[in-house]
Amino acid sequence: MNKQIRKLAAGLLVLYLALFAALNVVQVGKKQELDAHPQNNRQTIRDFNRMRGPIVTADGVVVARSVPVVDPDSQYRFQREYPTGNLFSNITGYYTYSFGSTQLEKTQNDVLMGDTTQQKVDSVFGGADNTGSVQLTLRADVQQVAAQAIDDFNAAQLANGATETVQGSVVVMDPRTGAVLAMVSLPRFDANQVADHDTKAAEDVLDFLNNYPGKPLLANAYQENYMPGSSFKIITTGIAMENGVTSLDRNWPSETEWVPPQTNDPIQNYGGKACGGTMTEVFYRSCNIPFAQLASELGPQRMTDGVRAWGIGEKLPIDLPGAVASSFCGNVTPCDAAFFNDQLPLLAIGGFGQGNDLMVPLHMCMVAATVANGGVMMKPHVVDATLDHDGAVLTRTSPEAWKTPISPTTATILSDLMVGVVNNGTGKPMQLANGVQAAAKTGTAQLNFVEGEPQRSHAWIIGFAPAEAPRYAVSVVIKGTTDEISAGTGGRLAGPIAKQVLDYLFASES
Amino acid sequence: MAAGISAVAFVLASLGKNSTMPATLVPFLIALLGMLIAAHIATRLLARGADGTLLPLAVMLHGIGYVMIARLSERRAALQTTWSFIAIVAFVLTLLIVQRPPDLARYKWTFLFVGAGLLMLPLVPGIGSSVGGAKIWVSIGPVNFQPGEFAKIALALFFAAYLADNRELISAGTRRFGFIRIPELRYVLPITLAWAFAVAVMVAEKDLGSALLFFTLFTVMMWVATERAIYLVLGLVIFSGAAYIAWRMFEVVQTRVDIWLDPWSQYEGKGYQPAQAMFAFANGGTAGTGLGLGNPSKIPAASTDYVFAAIGEEMGLIGATAVIIAFLLLLGAGLRVAVRADRPFEKLLATGLTTIISMQAFIIIGGVLRLVPLTGITLPFVSYGGSSLLANYILLALLLRISDSGARRRGETPDELTISERMEARRLRRAERKAARA
Repeated sequence: MNKQIRKLAAGLLVLYLALFAALNVVQVGKKQELDAHPQNNRQTIRDFNRMRGPIVTADGVVVARSVPVVDPDSQYRFQREYPTGNLFSNITGYYTYSFGSTQLEKTQNDVLMGDTTQQKVDSVFGGADNTGSVQLTLRADVQQVAAQAIDDFNAAQLANGATETVQGSVVVMDPRTGAVLAMVSLPRFDANQVADHDTKAAEDVLDFLNNYPGKPLLANAYQENYMPGSSFKIITTGIAMENGVTSLDRNWPSETEWVPPQTNDPIQNYGGKACGGTMTEVFYRSCNIPFAQLASELGPQRMTDGVRAWGIGEKLPIDLPGAVASSFCGNVTPCDAAFFNDQLPLLAIGGFGQGNDLMVPLHMCMVAATVANGGVMMKPHVVDATLDHDGAVLTRTSPEAWKTPISPTTATILSDLMVGVVNNGTGKPMQLANGVQAAAKTGTAQLNFVEGEPQRSHAWIIGFAPAEAPRYAVSVVIKGTTDEISAGTGGRLAGPIAKQVLDYLFASES
Repeated sequence: MAAGISAVAFVLASLGKNSTMPATLVPFLIALLGMLIAAHIATRLLARGADGTLLPLAVMLHGIGYVMIARLSERRAALQTTWSFIAIVAFVLTLLIVQRPPDLARYKWTFLFVGAGLLMLPLVPGIGSSVGGAKIWVSIGPVNFQPGEFAKIALALFFAAYLADNRELISAGTRRFGFIRIPELRYVLPITLAWAFAVAVMVAEKDLGSALLFFTLFTVMMWVATERAIYLVLGLVIFSGAAYIAWRMFEVVQTRVDIWLDPWSQYEGKGYQPAQAMFAFANGGTAGTGLGLGNPSKIPAASTDYVFAAIGEEMGLIGATAVIIAFLLLLGAGLRVAVRADRPFEKLLATGLTTIISMQAFIIIGGVLRLVPLTGITLPFVSYGGSSLLANYILLALLLRISDSGARRRGETPDELTISERMEARRLRRAERKAARA
């Protein structure tokens, strides 16, 4: 029997060697293949179970943080939470296990997790927690005021019979540095609901948000573009001045109609009124014909070159993912002179912000900021600095110029023209408290009427203050959702919102 | 031996320290270690000549399993502590009661009927219950257990005893049929019936793992007892045939095979667990994630059938290999006991018991690694589960007893009288004195 027992031992040994071989194949041989398997979420969970640093505003308010999960049976150790609710969700984005992450949670992931090279090196000498934090340029108080202003407007509209949420945004930035102080989009969402560990609930929320009109998941302040209307006249005037096509001395006769080349269809002023006067007057009265004529005089080549100098057609260089570009040609690419050569009426209409013009709200704020900053357009940014676990600076965003579309002289002239808008023209609703001089330009873009829907329009105001030494630039846009809103002008609808925010900013300084 | 225990203590302590386990674990570990040291002392007292590697190996496996269970569920760890205590007590009691192995052979028919009865128990309405499709549980009052775990020991005892008595008759055969000598039916019939019955019941309970284990046990014991390779061949042929028929006839078996070949195709259903086990192994890699730092809880049966995947994830290739080597050493030591034993019954019993442990470990580890199709069964000493732990410690005690008996026979250990023999002798002396006085 011993012979058989020894054979049995040998047989079992072979079986166990097979086990060892199989173990090696699985754990070492196929490791990479299995780790990369689409259904394998262990890596994600591992990240998910690590501590993650906070995102903090310039005024020290925590807008995203990880808190330990109390429930011992939970498969997750931390819950990501957003203490300010929906206020910053378009900027922080969300960090979820099942649906990935967005916005800063996505782009600043390495800093927050402590995965940058420097943090990893430092953690060798430091403690176990090497998570970093992200310091925003945004101020929670300004964000709150801006959100309140636009939310109040929306509430008033809903009370007035509107059936859908107003789409709109408020952007405030420092024209000298490009630091964004507030960036509110409506509609927006609450990242807490998406970051829920209850995957089913989170999925329902995402489904709801994806189907909601106005795309709450998109920060329309920099991820959508709108027809700019008359606010675009700043750009047309700037290009015309740079090319010597116009000056403050130019005068326009009062006209009700002008027929551009290549068509018999005349261009009219807002409301079909007669409009004319000096450069200053046509600017604050917001006549359309003079700017159509400027665009025509510039011609396709100089006009397309000019808008390109303002950054139109390029994705906005903000430090947030998914930024879109403004456009002078709608969806047509490439947007060059050739497109307009046989579309001269469209070029003329484009001169006063209608036709194929589409501007991102953030970009319009940058346009106002360019005038305020002596002609230099700064790169917008929301991240001021990234900090390591001990609060030492890892990176700090230094202000960087993006474009220089106009000379300082032109900037001064445009600034004066915009002061006129506030003092004498369509921008009167943005006259600030305590005698602070603001400069602004309004815009009201009538959208093509769609059968079965209310008349829609985009009501804009962009500007800066104080005019003599600007510290804040602002843009407000509201997409009209009822005939009533659409009948209003940018100055009347968006102006008070901009005033509220700027008044708060100056009040908060003292 | 003592060094082995302290090594285990060290392993347990350091594992506990490096992980993120709650402080309540420490008393558990101390209690567990105390029990295991007690088991060691009992072995030294009651079976002095026994092989010195069997118990430490089992204890190491038990310790690794326990740490893994504690890491997965505190509640289960507490229950496992209780069961560990019961198992150790049963281990000592087995050593105490079974002092002379041949005594066991006398009760072979009892063992057969007890084994058969235990196997049938889950089929009794009212007390039998099924968990995860297999009807192998029995609930009496608050106690749940798997009688099959004990049945396999009882049946191994019966086989060993029966074959020890009749092996020559079976082996010799009387009629010739070509090359094959067919043994007389009356010698083979009882054991074949017992075996067929056992396998049939296990299949009926959908306990395919146990059926496979049992089939292997029987084939191996027949082969070793008769020294005729034809039984091995026969076993293989019957197994292949049965497997093919089962695959053709039962949807359950087809699903198992499909999942084995490609668990990802049914990721949302039955393939989830094997796929997660694969991910767990990959996540562990060579060195493992470290205890408490992986995600073995994603595998639904992480503390029972799939405990090996949990070990693979958190202790890596190194830890998982250690477990495989421990089983390899255990089977080596068990078969050495079989070789050194000189009575056929003891030889066969040691062979059978070792085959149970090593095949059971192979079936489940191979299943988890997708080397073979998975058939649910516990990993001896490691998996969570009271019945399994208890049965395996009893099995271990029997192996130690055979080992001790072999050593005494060879004169390596003084063959002292057992306690019962001493009492018997004293009784006899007293009777003699009484007779002399009278």
